[in-house]
Amino acid sequence: MIGFLQPLALLGLAAAAIPPLLHLMGRRLPPTVLFPAVQYLTATEREHSRRLKLRNLLLLLLRVAIILLIVLAVARPVARVGAGTAHPPTALALIVDNSLSSGAVVAGQRVLDVLMQRARHVLARTAAGDRLWLVLADGIPRRISRGEAAAVLDSLTPWPLRLDVAEAVRAGARAAAAAGLPVWEVVLLSDLQATAFSPGDPATARVLAWEPPEVPQNRGIDSAYAEPPVWSPEGAVVAHIGGSWEGAAAVRLAINGGDVARAVARPGDRAALAASGPRRGWLVASVQLDPDELRADDRWWLALQVADPAAVRAEPAVGRFVQEAVSVLQGGGRAREGSEVVLTDRPRDGVALVFPPHDPSLIGSVNRALAARGIGWRYGELVEGEWTLTGEVGPAEGAVIYRRYRMRGSGVVLARVGGEPWLVRAGNQVLVASRMEERWSALPISAAFIPFLDLLINRVAATESWTVQAAPGAAVVFPPGAEALLLWGGPAVIPGDGRLAAPLEPGVYLVRGTGGDTVGALEVNHDYRESQLAPASPRVVRATLGADAHVLGGQALDRELFGGARRAELTGLLIAAAILAAVAELALASVGRLKRRE
Amino acid sequence: MTTARMDLLDPYEVAQLGDIELVARGVVEGFLAGLHRSPFRGFSVEFAEHRPYQPGDELRYLDWKILARADRLFVKQYEEETNLRSMIVLDVSRSMDWAGSERRLTKLEYAKRLVAALALILLRQRDATGLIGFDEEVRAVVRARARHRHWWPLLSAVVSLTAGGGTVAEPALRQVTDLLRRRGLVIFVSDLLLDRDLALLALQYLRHRGHQVTVFHIMDPGELSLEGPPEARFEDPETGDSLVARPRELRTVYEDTVHRTIQQWRAACRGGGIDYHHVLTDTPFGYVLRRAAASRSRLG
Repeated sequence: MIGFLQPLALLGLAAAAIPPLLHLMGRRLPPTVLFPAVQYLTATEREHSRRLKLRNLLLLLLRVAIILLIVLAVARPVARVGAGTAHPPTALALIVDNSLSSGAVVAGQRVLDVLMQRARHVLARTAAGDRLWLVLADGIPRRISRGEAAAVLDSLTPWPLRLDVAEAVRAGARAAAAAGLPVWEVVLLSDLQATAFSPGDPATARVLAWEPPEVPQNRGIDSAYAEPPVWSPEGAVVAHIGGSWEGAAAVRLAINGGDVARAVARPGDRAALAASGPRRGWLVASVQLDPDELRADDRWWLALQVADPAAVRAEPAVGRFVQEAVSVLQGGGRAREGSEVVLTDRPRDGVALVFPPHDPSLIGSVNRALAARGIGWRYGELVEGEWTLTGEVGPAEGAVIYRRYRMRGSGVVLARVGGEPWLVRAGNQVLVASRMEERWSALPISAAFIPFLDLLINRVAATESWTVQAAPGAAVVFPPGAEALLLWGGPAVIPGDGRLAAPLEPGVYLVRGTGGDTVGALEVNHDYRESQLAPASPRVVRATLGADAHVLGGQALDRELFGGARRAELTGLLIAAAILAAVAELALASVGRLKRRE
Repeated sequence: MTTARMDLLDPYEVAQLGDIELVARGVVEGFLAGLHRSPFRGFSVEFAEHRPYQPGDELRYLDWKILARADRLFVKQYEEETNLRSMIVLDVSRSMDWAGSERRLTKLEYAKRLVAALALILLRQRDATGLIGFDEEVRAVVRARARHRHWWPLLSAVVSLTAGGGTVAEPALRQVTDLLRRRGLVIFVSDLLLDRDLALLALQYLRHRGHQVTVFHIMDPGELSLEGPPEARFEDPETGDSLVARPRELRTVYEDTVHRTIQQWRAACRGGGIDYHHVLTDTPFGYVLRRAAASRSRLG
């Protein structure tokens, strides 16, 4: 059986028609030449016509053959050579996709169990001279012996991870190719989710993908988030239902293990589950669906923070825009009257949100007050221009700033304009570089102003906590001030750069700050793409992994396994044949002026 | 002197110097001038007698057979034969009206000048000379006369002949037997693109009647080789027959065929005692005349 690595090149076979067409076109209306010795010519033609016709036919066939051979060579044909079960030493990358979706149950059997059964069958076919790499849901090729691989398979369970199958195949192919053996193959045992095939370069190996069993209908929770982020104490959780199951399902919200809200939703719906926090502080909540064939995507974990609104007082010196906004927030329940947070034009005791004074001559006294409190920031010179606001400013992202004081010093920078600090924090003092007036910024007269002030008061000035979302095992960058991640087995110290791998187990993990308080939470949940079980078509597999990727049934996989060792690319042979044909054509054409008979 | 050596110039260039008469005269003058320095004695010379060798005689006239038999030195003496009747048979078929290059005479134009020169030489030797022009039938007949002024009607007939139709030589050659009652000389000028077997039969019949026969096979150099576009329809202007061929493919075997045909003509003529000359139309007339004269001398 012959296959082609570049089958599109076979379109070039049409070029084989060129020599006959040229021959036919050339025969049309040759010019007439008066020549009295036609009887000599007739005698010549009569004597040699058979030779000439044979020669011309041979030339035509040779030219057609040259084109066919070249086109076939470009198409890179491969053919099976030899037969039998024995095979030369082969580097084999065996990919067993135990990602989250492999936990789906089909006809009473878990997909992963079927994959493992097939994997054991492949292992049984390996020989002593083969080299084996095992790739699991983390996508990392591991050099492994046949016995070790069998042991791994015996204890393998679905991991709550997403596997990029295409990347895993590429990595496996690279590892196998580097083994130095003449033949290498990749065997892919997966449910072949279409979402698992990211585009990229073709694999550098022959890929044998097992045709997955029929996949079940599935629904899952793609995402969920609290609205508002801080409950006081009422709030809601919005859940996005995904999957392909057309029927409606019950959606439940559980807080600290107890159901508090329920709704009915279909895949594609957004379900809002309203509830009230039973107490203030951090709460662990989850949104759950009724169980289906894939259980691992039926729950979504999230952290809820329940707190009273901050008690705020705005001094007249901050300007009427800020004062009016605070009144609005207090009227809407987002702030209370009090002095927990003071909006002022100079540092104060307690939590203060400091705006520059109206009179520039007062900047000196403000800086002295900052120095007296040991704060590392100072107001610098007043500059004018037009800058865009970036950083932790929520709805004010992109607001235009016209005037600002340059912030001198060092510390936590919450937002910047023109690459320079604009909103900074030092302890319980938060400094703003611009006054909230229309000559200083477009922000006070925009719709984003009140949400921005809400953010400043409740989350920044009042040091409201944060949440970080991550997939199991993914790298996470925690905000400054995060000291340890509280795992079930004990706290894990967060390095200075804030980078740490998320736990593999989905759930809510609280983060302890430098002061010993809980400053945030890490929500670990499945990748929503694992819920989409629709398999990729063989065409997509080939398009992603290259023309030498084959999706095969069980028997075909057995037949083709280690077939690469018994397959040879015929390109060189065809090129040699084309060269021989070209030489023959040249020789025949050169003696076209038939040899003089002695 | 220019006219004296006209026999050695390129025929095409010679033809540019004047009409057939002038060319024929110039060629003959040049030919006869050269003859004084050559061993040839003309077309109608025959052996006359032996005489004892005397010192000073040229050794080439020594009769080596007598020397071998009798150990005596005799030289051969020749004398011009008188009363020889000759008939020139000229092919004026359409195939003769062709030249492979603009820088060459057509076969017919070349043949006309050659015939005029031959006739002048023969008449100067006081041989009665006549002419028959033919294509597929006899087109012109000039009876043989020995008078020197007879060249003018001969020349007039030659000039007036134009290329006609096909080529059938037997009627013309048959008519020669009527016109040459006694032993004479027949000069057949043709491109021989005719039925060779029939023509040879007629020529051999003439030979059988005691006539000396000389064949001038006129051929354009362009007929020796096959040239032309990569593929062409080659059409015979005389018969209209055509053939599509690729010169590059057939060139070599075509040349073989032509050379073989020439050899066959040469062999057939030699076998029948016929003097055969293959003449290319770029050959100076003097060369042709000398070769023919030498051949005639050997025959004599």
